[in-house]
Amino acid sequence: MTPALVETDDELLIRIQSGDEDAFLDLYRRRQAPLFRFALHMSGSMPVAEDVTQEVFLAVLREGCGYDPDRGTLSGYLFGIARKLVLRHLERGRSDVVLDTDADDSALPQLAVIDDPMVDLTRREGIDALRRAVQALPRRYREVVVLCDLEEVDYVDAAVALGCPIGTVRSRLHRARGLLLEKLNQERNPRHAMALKPVRCE
Amino acid sequence: MNCQEFWKTMPEFAAGVEQAGEHAHLADCPACKARLRSQRELSAGLRAVAAEFHKLEAPPRVETRLLAAFRTQSGVEPVRTRRRWIPVLTWAAAFAAMLSLGLFIVRDRQPEAARSTVQHGVERAAMEIPSELEGFIPLPNSGALPANEDMDVVRVEMPRSAMLAAGLEVSADRVGEMVEADVMLGSDGVARAVRFLDESLI
Repeated sequence: MTPALVETDDELLIRIQSGDEDAFLDLYRRRQAPLFRFALHMSGSMPVAEDVTQEVFLAVLREGCGYDPDRGTLSGYLFGIARKLVLRHLERGRSDVVLDTDADDSALPQLAVIDDPMVDLTRREGIDALRRAVQALPRRYREVVVLCDLEEVDYVDAAVALGCPIGTVRSRLHRARGLLLEKLNQERNPRHAMALKPVRCE
Repeated sequence: MNCQEFWKTMPEFAAGVEQAGEHAHLADCPACKARLRSQRELSAGLRAVAAEFHKLEAPPRVETRLLAAFRTQSGVEPVRTRRRWIPVLTWAAAFAAMLSLGLFIVRDRQPEAARSTVQHGVERAAMEIPSELEGFIPLPNSGALPANEDMDVVRVEMPRSAMLAAGLEVSADRVGEMVEADVMLGSDGVARAVRFLDESLI
């Protein structure tokens, strides 16, 4: 049996520009969730994430929305719009509802095995701690982690979204992961904070 | 192989740390082993955070708003009112409307008519009428005007006494006169609202 052909984003966009409502709905339903989550991770605010998602697709509706297939995929382009909108919100200081990531740090459980502070980040408390650590990253590192690690956007699309070369995406991601490790190490075991800093080998 | 060469051979983070396995260099280098272990933990943790947020998406109201914006831009109006004359079908519908109005008038011409006028006024106030339908009085048995229902508007003549039933004032000496009115018919042919074209109301 031949699998049903799925229209590409670019094909949907062409139909949208000719007034096809179904194509618009298809594109929206295909792309809204990652964009919403990206805006949420970046802003920490549900209302901001909702506004940003809406604005991204309103931009698609505008004539000559600025998308150029030669410069990258539509997905990367949409993330780029979302990023700019989020930054605008952050600059205005309008991220009014923060995710419950600001819980009292003292409530974080102490690990029983202090020799292994990174143990099992997939446990509930580990996930919460990691989420807080991502939120606490400087913006330029947070956006690359959210895009590449949480939303699994490839480096090419991430470079389009961030407006930088792929090499910059890689280096920021490397630095961001190092910062996350440091942050988690400090948070879980202040006395051994330096124990798992990336080691520079000879 | 020294540490630097080992990390240069490592593929990209997420897949690489999983695939590194028991590389020969790791057996001789506890520092690299610890670093690789922490990166594995971080990779798994980020996947867990992503999984936790995976089902999160924009609320349905965003799609509703965008669809409305799309239709506005495409020139598709959500409520279509047409004023036209279609002899056979429309007259049949108009007859049904007249019958419905007539029944309504007869029923409301009971002794407590004065009190029912007030009640109808309250009912009308509670109903929502789109701005483009200004001047139409919803009929009490029609409920709120549906936003997306395909409506037909037909012009008919009816006894001025019908205005009484709609809560309008009519002098006693003119009750027997005929008055023009626009009757809004739903897709089922049932009258939803009426607008009297009487000079005294303008």
